[in-house]
Amino acid sequence: MDTANTKIYQSSPSMQKSKEDSYKAVAVTKKKKKASAGDMAFTICNTIFMILFVVITLYPVLNTLAISFNDGTDALRGGIYLIPRKFTLKNYATVMQKDNLVTGAYITVLRTVIGTFLSLITNAILAYIVSRKEFIFRRQLSLFWVITMYVNGGLIPTFLLYKNLHLTNSFWVYVVPGMISAFNMLVIRTYMNGISESLTEAAQLDGAGYTTIFTKVISPLCKPVYATIALFVAVYQWNSWFDAMLYNRMSDQYTTLQYELMKLLSSVTNQGTSAEAMKNAQGAVTPTSVRAAATILTMLPIICIYPFLQNYFVAGLTLGGVKE
Amino acid sequence: MKTKIDLNTIKKQKTLLIWGAIITIYGFIFYYLPLAGWLMAFQDYKPKNGILHSTFIGMAKFTRLFSDVSFLKVIRNTLAMGVINLVATFVMAIVFAILLNEVRNVFGKRVVQTISYLPHFLSWIIVTGILHDALSGTGIVNEFLMNFGFIKQNIDFFAHTQYFWPIVAFANVWKETGWNAIIYLAAITSIDPALYEAASIDGAGRWGKIRHVTLPGIKPTIIILLLMNVGNVLNAGFEIQYLLGNGLVQSVSQTIDIYVLKWGISQSDYAIGTAAGIFKSVVSIILIVIANQIAKKSGEERLF
Amino acid sequence: MKKKALSLLLSMVVVASTVACGSSARTDSGSGDAAATESGDEGVKEFTAFFAVPGSEINDDNEVQELIAEKTGVKVKETWLTGQTAEEAVGTLIAGGEYPDFIDGGDGMMQLYEAGALVPLDDYIDSYPNIKAYYTEQEWDSLRQEDGHIYWMNQFQNIKGEDTTCTHNDEAFWIQTRVLEWAGYPEVKTMDQYFDLIESYNEANPTMEDGTENIPYTILCDDWRYFCLENAPEFLDGYPNDGSVIVDPEELKVIDYNTTDTAVAYFKKLNEEYQKGIVDPESFTQTYDEYIAKLSTGRVLGMIDQWWDFAYTAGDAIKSAGLDDQGCMYVPLPITISEDVHNQWHNSGGVLNVSSGLGITTSCEDVEGALQFIDDLLGQEIHNLRFWGVEGVDYEVDEDGVFYRTEEERTNAADTAYKASHICSYSYFPQWCGTSDDGINANMPSDQPQEYYDSLADSVKECLAAYGAQTYVDMLGTNEAPGPWYPMYSYSNNLTTSTDAGVAWNLMGEVKHEYLPKVVMADDFDAAWAEYMEAYNACNPQDFIDAMQTELERRVAEAAKFEE
Repeated sequence: MDTANTKIYQSSPSMQKSKEDSYKAVAVTKKKKKASAGDMAFTICNTIFMILFVVITLYPVLNTLAISFNDGTDALRGGIYLIPRKFTLKNYATVMQKDNLVTGAYITVLRTVIGTFLSLITNAILAYIVSRKEFIFRRQLSLFWVITMYVNGGLIPTFLLYKNLHLTNSFWVYVVPGMISAFNMLVIRTYMNGISESLTEAAQLDGAGYTTIFTKVISPLCKPVYATIALFVAVYQWNSWFDAMLYNRMSDQYTTLQYELMKLLSSVTNQGTSAEAMKNAQGAVTPTSVRAAATILTMLPIICIYPFLQNYFVAGLTLGGVKE
Repeated sequence: MKTKIDLNTIKKQKTLLIWGAIITIYGFIFYYLPLAGWLMAFQDYKPKNGILHSTFIGMAKFTRLFSDVSFLKVIRNTLAMGVINLVATFVMAIVFAILLNEVRNVFGKRVVQTISYLPHFLSWIIVTGILHDALSGTGIVNEFLMNFGFIKQNIDFFAHTQYFWPIVAFANVWKETGWNAIIYLAAITSIDPALYEAASIDGAGRWGKIRHVTLPGIKPTIIILLLMNVGNVLNAGFEIQYLLGNGLVQSVSQTIDIYVLKWGISQSDYAIGTAAGIFKSVVSIILIVIANQIAKKSGEERLF
Repeated sequence: MKKKALSLLLSMVVVASTVACGSSARTDSGSGDAAATESGDEGVKEFTAFFAVPGSEINDDNEVQELIAEKTGVKVKETWLTGQTAEEAVGTLIAGGEYPDFIDGGDGMMQLYEAGALVPLDDYIDSYPNIKAYYTEQEWDSLRQEDGHIYWMNQFQNIKGEDTTCTHNDEAFWIQTRVLEWAGYPEVKTMDQYFDLIESYNEANPTMEDGTENIPYTILCDDWRYFCLENAPEFLDGYPNDGSVIVDPEELKVIDYNTTDTAVAYFKKLNEEYQKGIVDPESFTQTYDEYIAKLSTGRVLGMIDQWWDFAYTAGDAIKSAGLDDQGCMYVPLPITISEDVHNQWHNSGGVLNVSSGLGITTSCEDVEGALQFIDDLLGQEIHNLRFWGVEGVDYEVDEDGVFYRTEEERTNAADTAYKASHICSYSYFPQWCGTSDDGINANMPSDQPQEYYDSLADSVKECLAAYGAQTYVDMLGTNEAPGPWYPMYSYSNNLTTSTDAGVAWNLMGEVKHEYLPKVVMADDFDAAWAEYMEAYNACNPQDFIDAMQTELERRVAEAAKFEE
């Protein structure tokens, strides 16, 4: 049994008695047979809340989708909600024309996979170390990492460091520098702290060392949190472009998808300032419409990948119980 | 609990020590070495000379920073927006996670959850564009308020200082609620189902279970995230204020990050930018230490 | 088993990170040296260039780029600013100490100079005739930095032969042709007449043909674009666009245009019009995108703006929606504060902005080759290739030798995809305006009178004809180029906060951003103006004015050396 959690629950009935008398009376009479009136009301309110939430969340995204399929100059006149008025694929064509898009996509996939993998392993190891209550430098190591969340040396010193480590103009600048992050480590650590100590103690009695406990006892239980962190890192890696611009500006072979899209956006936005270039332009695509298309394109892969990760969360649902 | 450091313990914890050392070296290189750049704040920094050969001028940059009235205003704005955002996004994420967990329809639950992440993938440029449309004179918000008779005249939301902070808070909530809820949802999955059963037997309804099982179950997660975010209060943001601000509201919209950008980089005064950055780091660390002490006193999960 | 797998994994990580450093070191040296080396088979030298402005990248196999490479033996890989400010980008370059061969750092040019990143050009210039001829001796001299050397050359608005400018590319009070047509094309010369016209038109025609309400007058205030609100007083008083101050050409004295009587009158007028509902209430909160969207619907009757800021986005949207048939295109008007003031919205002659330009960096291994390339680009044949394109493909030549474009070629020239794969103007390398060596054609298609006129909408042609004008420039009349100090903004652009003047200049900008909208919206104009002036004077504007005066005198003295 999970002693820590049980304790929390055990401490609560007294509170419940004193504060929720009326409510409890209802609950007792109806027992567990059917949902009580209160539960019904709860379900209805909750459903309304969820529907409202979905509408508010979804509308702007669908609006962006509609604009991405709409003629750019036509969209400038406004009044487009969920359905394109003047359908066109030109916005997407403009995005697709980009020269380095394939290289960018390849590098982005690579950095997402490698970066997520490296990050997850290193953060998990670190979290495991600082979650061992008996570890002698536990506090110091935690503090060492927590501080990194709030201080940084600024752009130029960081740049100089990467340059001296020969990380600039290379792929590794994407995955090595940000590999361990205190935030991710702390999330994993918190989860590990919640795992009953009886499990590790039992393993220790069987003669298991730290490595075995980490791989065989702790990690299988940590799947939900691992999946969460993997998602965090993957999204970060997928959406990054600033590092590509900063450190690999002159190395086209290491460009990323998002950086190429950024370049596209700023060149579209800027065409207005170069008189010669825009002479007699026929409109059709505008910064807004191309931006919409680029937004949809970048979201698409994440939306496709996510359901697979969500399966891990569902797996986590059954794992969370810690039945043994 | 204190463990004595003797040869035996070191031998026992060999694995932990080796890995800990490797990770510490990594951390030192990538997070601590660049801090040498802080020296710039005390220098009359010239790029030609670099940090090593620029002349030291002591605290002059800090003196100028704190004698600048607009910097004090900037601190106020940053703190205010940081706190409002923290509270709003925090409460919403927890509420959302708990309520979503209560949805019994598995399909509906997955659909809502998947949808809830979407805004996280939108850049601030797009989010602020949408906000501008929605809050403009002909936008959906004014239309709604007019139709239901709440107002008689359109409100120009971006022309008045009092609306700015709430708008920023709302934008943050809209963008990050679903995303932030992930951690809480993961935490909820680790709660022992037996506890819910026990609560049911005691006659607890769904509300009762939320209060007495779910909330206590995710309390460690809540506290650790709260601790972390307290230190981030000064990171109230940059992009959203930069994109939504305008001349009329600049007295409430400018944050430290914008100040650093404006003076430090655009005016190529790296020293003053670094000084403002140092100030931010120091305040953050003070806040985090205080919060950690409070957590320690009340026997809760700690950061370090 | 699992234990083994894990330790294997972990050691992989370590190995991976060590390999990472090793291999990156190799690729680093490999790609870094690719610049300015012969790429073997074709014998084409490759240079790199970075421009600290946003721009469009062209495809690797761009046709005109290949043609230019065949003729000059040089190809330049251009990169542009993305998502950073010019200073940030330049700052990171300086930090790394590695530069592309060519660079235009925009507002960060001074930083590059201070970092010692640029090669002095003065010793080389004499050996390259086209470069040498690009500026007069005096102009070259004005580009000298404190140490007496020349490090960069500005690329733009340099006129060769005859000035054939047709577009008024700069700032003006714009008005839709339908307003002028309705009023029978009256003379509109003062600010009061301008607003009276807009008022009476709007009263008679409150909506567009489709029933959309008109917006009589809007003001763009988004970030740096707030010049649409801010700098009109200098023009209203009949001075040219010195940008940050007025220069009195007789007394050679710097005047602050923010506090003149004209400034008060201008903002008071805006305030009145705001109270009457003529000024768009969303003026001060709209973003640039929203402003363009508004203009694109054809609803806005008039505004102040620079042509390039709206014409290529909103202007084209109006055209493609057919709204130009309803008279929604804009023409400029020669507005001043009173009829006896002569307007200087348009000036002839080139503008030499000495604050930035194209430089060659210390990382460039073949400075002579780089300069030879610039020299080649200025040669007429290649210049035509850059801006007109390939004869028979991008333009035609009639029997008199005049260049023109067919409708299809005009469309192509505006097509993004076509431009990326075909056109290569090396747009941030030095270039000529005015007329070409053949004495017939303009160096730029947009300066070719017939080509320009053919591309205008009928409603605009009609309007221009009513005023006896052929081009936008004719609408305003043109003026002699101002004195040798012009433009003063090339000095204020480079001010930094390390000087009192720079601090004042920054604070002034901030105060104006906040208070000018308030002044326009105020119920009590005089009180709001007084409050604004109080805040304004607290910025020590005199520090700034004094520095500008010193610079003005310096520039005049420099110029005097060439008088004899």
